[in-house]
Amino acid sequence: MSLSELTKPWEAMSYGFLDASAKRELRRKMIKAVAVPGCQMPYASREVPMARGWGTGGLQVSLTLVNPETTVKVIDQGADDSVNAASIRRFIARVAGAPVTMDTLQADLIQSRHRIPEEILSEDQILVLQVPNPEPLRPVQPNMSIARQMHADADYGRMWLQLYEQIVRSGRVMQGASYPSLVHGRHIMTPSPIPRWDVPKLHMAKHLTILSAGREKRIYAVPPYTRVEPLVFSDVPYRVEDHGGLTCHRSGTKGFFMNEIPQDGGTSTYEVSDSEWGVKAIRQRDGEGVIKGETWYKNGEMAQ
Amino acid sequence: MSQSAPPLRSAEEIEANASFDALLWALSRPGQIRHLPKPGEAALIDALIDRECRVYSADPLLIPQVMRSGAEIADMASADHVFLATVQDSEVLKSLQLGSDLYPDEGATVILRCKLGAGAHLRLSGPGVNGTCDLQVAGLPDGFWQTRAQVMRYPTGFELILLDGDRLAALPRSTIVEVL
Amino acid sequence: MAYVATRGGERAIEQSERLFREEIGSFDAQRVNDIRQSLPYLVDRVMGEASLYDEDLAALALAQTGGEIYEAVLLLRAWRTTQPRLTVAEPVEQGDLFTHRRISAAFKDIPGGQVLGPTLDYAHRILATDVLRGDRFTPSSVEPADQPAPAQQPSVSAWQAENDLVDLPEPDQTAGGDIPDLTREPLLFPSKRAHTLQSLARADTGGVLALGYAAMRGYGQAHPTVNELRLAEADITVSHPDGRKFSAGRVKVSQAEVVSKKSEKLNLGFAATFGWNEVKCISAATLDLNSGGAPKGSATEEEFFLYHTEGVESSGFCIHFKLPHYVTFQSSLDAMRDAKAKNAAKTESATSDPAPTKSEPAE
Repeated sequence: MSLSELTKPWEAMSYGFLDASAKRELRRKMIKAVAVPGCQMPYASREVPMARGWGTGGLQVSLTLVNPETTVKVIDQGADDSVNAASIRRFIARVAGAPVTMDTLQADLIQSRHRIPEEILSEDQILVLQVPNPEPLRPVQPNMSIARQMHADADYGRMWLQLYEQIVRSGRVMQGASYPSLVHGRHIMTPSPIPRWDVPKLHMAKHLTILSAGREKRIYAVPPYTRVEPLVFSDVPYRVEDHGGLTCHRSGTKGFFMNEIPQDGGTSTYEVSDSEWGVKAIRQRDGEGVIKGETWYKNGEMAQ
Repeated sequence: MSQSAPPLRSAEEIEANASFDALLWALSRPGQIRHLPKPGEAALIDALIDRECRVYSADPLLIPQVMRSGAEIADMASADHVFLATVQDSEVLKSLQLGSDLYPDEGATVILRCKLGAGAHLRLSGPGVNGTCDLQVAGLPDGFWQTRAQVMRYPTGFELILLDGDRLAALPRSTIVEVL
Repeated sequence: MAYVATRGGERAIEQSERLFREEIGSFDAQRVNDIRQSLPYLVDRVMGEASLYDEDLAALALAQTGGEIYEAVLLLRAWRTTQPRLTVAEPVEQGDLFTHRRISAAFKDIPGGQVLGPTLDYAHRILATDVLRGDRFTPSSVEPADQPAPAQQPSVSAWQAENDLVDLPEPDQTAGGDIPDLTREPLLFPSKRAHTLQSLARADTGGVLALGYAAMRGYGQAHPTVNELRLAEADITVSHPDGRKFSAGRVKVSQAEVVSKKSEKLNLGFAATFGWNEVKCISAATLDLNSGGAPKGSATEEEFFLYHTEGVESSGFCIHFKLPHYVTFQSSLDAMRDAKAKNAAKTESATSDPAPTKSEPAE
């Protein structure tokens, strides 16, 4: 063996930025994440040219999966043009030569922060969710080692107790986004800070979802056709945000998750959070031909 | 900072990306058969194995490639990746790493050769399967599926990657297999 | 097409980066060279936190980020990610270090002597404002000692071990590629010794100081005595594939041993890092000293201080709060309003304020 066999020709950057060994580690961990749905798998999580907490976990997954035929969509808070979504999209396109899109239906790979698009994802799409805090037990147990033991023992009593206490105090579960959910009847996961509105979209979905926390170095997955059940008591049903009756003031679309826009005089208007869905509605209103996909919610209600 | 053409893809990167694409699909949808870019274990070794791995291979012909990857050759009980080649005896499943409740990821990834689309009818259910689906697998010893069910206690267990030339199917530990 | 008009994301981020870079202006290798030569301690700090020893790249990172240290460290870490791991060098022995400075607070004098070496410890911290009026700052030249201090010296703890004052840790026989590498595997707890020392070596200087200082002030169980503090250069010895060993160069390193009394023996804490960084080594060694048996969730517990002194992670998470969070905020508002409505409807008669619920952790 010689040194030259151990080395490789110099190149400014590997395809997709990550080198082959980083991609292999991610592949190995993705296998385990899919095999044990909802269970957080530790991984090395290399530094990438973006700050920790800015989607580095999702980015590492996307960079491992992407190839020049992968059409990529990136959203933040539901919007494709959010500054960090634009930055991530530009980076993936630059290091992987991947085509990009804003249309959910056109995308092969969707990297998202805090939202799942309103159009139903198909079986050949992969959703990559950026995860700031992968540990659903952190509010009851900030220590990661103890929390891991609780997952191992399926010791979720304190989690239930916390929800129960909220109901007693406030008449409802006060959890906003990141609603803790039981996956495949075994592991409690945080679905990432998606609103409660989006959690049912993960349940028995056609698509694969990979959730990745770069800073906290944990990866987990929800395979297709996997049970994802928000933690609820049988007599206090799960409640999504009360947005079913709201209308987007820009596009006129109704019955989807909305952004509230405060107005002078103490009132509010609303605009649809899934920005591309809004664009499609506007184009349709203007008489353009657009292809709108089936949506998970119909008339403001999650279809069963 | 300057905008430039994306880095070139090496042949290895193209193949590894395609191999994992097939594997991830197969593992996410147990029972569905996908194609590797080339037949045999080689494509999977390139996509998955390097110096961070401990590998057992029943087929000595795979060992040079495994060693080139930098992986450590290990016995079956301590290997994280196990290449069983053709399985003669279901007892081998009893030697595999299952991981622990604390670290289920330490369960092995097992690659074996068989014939897909012939032989025993299996009915699969679990994550990735909408209800149930059927898969035919030949070339595995008697009692293989019973032994698999016996040794694993979810979430511990191992993943099975079934190879038939360039075709592969995958059964994660979460898949329940019923022999029809 | 009202929506499209608002799609300024791409242009906005491009222009904001230009604004940042405009202030720094154009630069070339000369500026990088100047930074490397004039700011060696800053270059050292950045190399240590990046866990990448390359003075030119560190100086370049500082030039490119205008001295925003967290950005410079991230830049180097991200560059490091792209580099193949060619080989693992031989272990560096304390006794082989080419020592520039080595002091002990535990003894008046130590075998090999107190070697003050380069330091500002006894300088009067007075700004040389004359420079701003056009004078040149020229330091007085160093007068060599009659007897040069020995370049190589054993650690003070080695002497203490000989005298049965301290139990040195068992030498770890793990070698080469088997040594756990924090950049290749996640930090899990209880942490592997190699991971602990690697984490401390690349920890944020300010973060280690803050938690180390908390331990020193009394939130730790052990009060540190600086057994030795050393600034040195280490030979990096690697093996050629044909078996020959050769030096791949020298790197500046610093290390600290701190001790405290534990019944009849001394307890030992240790830290080392790339570059010369005394504050970091003493603080990190103090945390190491305090970590044994520290209560869960305390500042001196390994999980607590290793997670929270990771500079790239902590600074990244801190600045991520600048990103829009209006979806999660909307979701919380919905729950709050609903709870308020429920409460109003329920309590015409019984007026009780709901107790505040613990807020969700930051995301």
